[in-house]
Amino acid sequence: MAETIVQPIIETELEIPWNVVVHNDPVNLMSYVTMVLQRVFDYSKQKAQEHMLEVHHEGRSIVWTGPREKAEFYVQQLHSYLLLATLEKAN
Amino acid sequence: MLIHRSKKDLIEFAEVEPIEAELLRQVSTLCNLTEDPKVEERLFSPPTDSSEVQFLDDWEEYIKPELRHLFVSARKLVEDDLAKLQGGNEKGGRLFVPLAHGDAWLNTLNQARLILATRYDFSEVELSSSDLPKSFSRRELVLLQINFYAAIQERIIDVLEVSSGEN
Repeated sequence: MAETIVQPIIETELEIPWNVVVHNDPVNLMSYVTMVLQRVFDYSKQKAQEHMLEVHHEGRSIVWTGPREKAEFYVQQLHSYLLLATLEKAN
Repeated sequence: MLIHRSKKDLIEFAEVEPIEAELLRQVSTLCNLTEDPKVEERLFSPPTDSSEVQFLDDWEEYIKPELRHLFVSARKLVEDDLAKLQGGNEKGGRLFVPLAHGDAWLNTLNQARLILATRYDFSEVELSSSDLPKSFSRRELVLLQINFYAAIQERIIDVLEVSSGEN
């Protein structure tokens, strides 16, 4: 008889990487968004500016990808700086 | 008005004109008036799409109050700093703000700008325009106020950036 392997859904969900996405907002200054990305993710100024410019030109930027729990933390951090940020499953 | 880093880890607002002082004092007043649902929705935007019901419920119950407390605390700090604004002589007002309060000032100024922009429904084009006002309508004056606060934010960011580079 074949064995049935059951993988708990929770484990599978936790393994799926999640994206942290910053969305464009016409009020937030470019310098402010850059500063926030440096602070929250410890990015270099150059990397933070690249993401900021992507938000500005494309309307959104995936600024980080990783485990769900960390993604939730980062989204909360970004909200504390009044950025528009969401989390979504990575493709 | 001049904004620069002063000695002893202070941000100095110098030569503050009476009208600038009045606009500064309005910052915390503006931020206290958040009964507008549109404003509430912007300050506390959803962290994910509506399909994540449990997560959104948890966010509403646990995270949103924390964010609200953070925003209120930042406003209070700025309000307390502004109470020390010395003014009146021919050289204009003067204010010293601890460098450590820089983030609270950035947060509160951002709150004020977001609240005004949401309340008056300014478009991205309007917010990024450098054209002179075509009239003196309330809407045009509010846009000037938003840009005034933006200029202060830019200056504070410059000061904080230089300061962090020294550490």
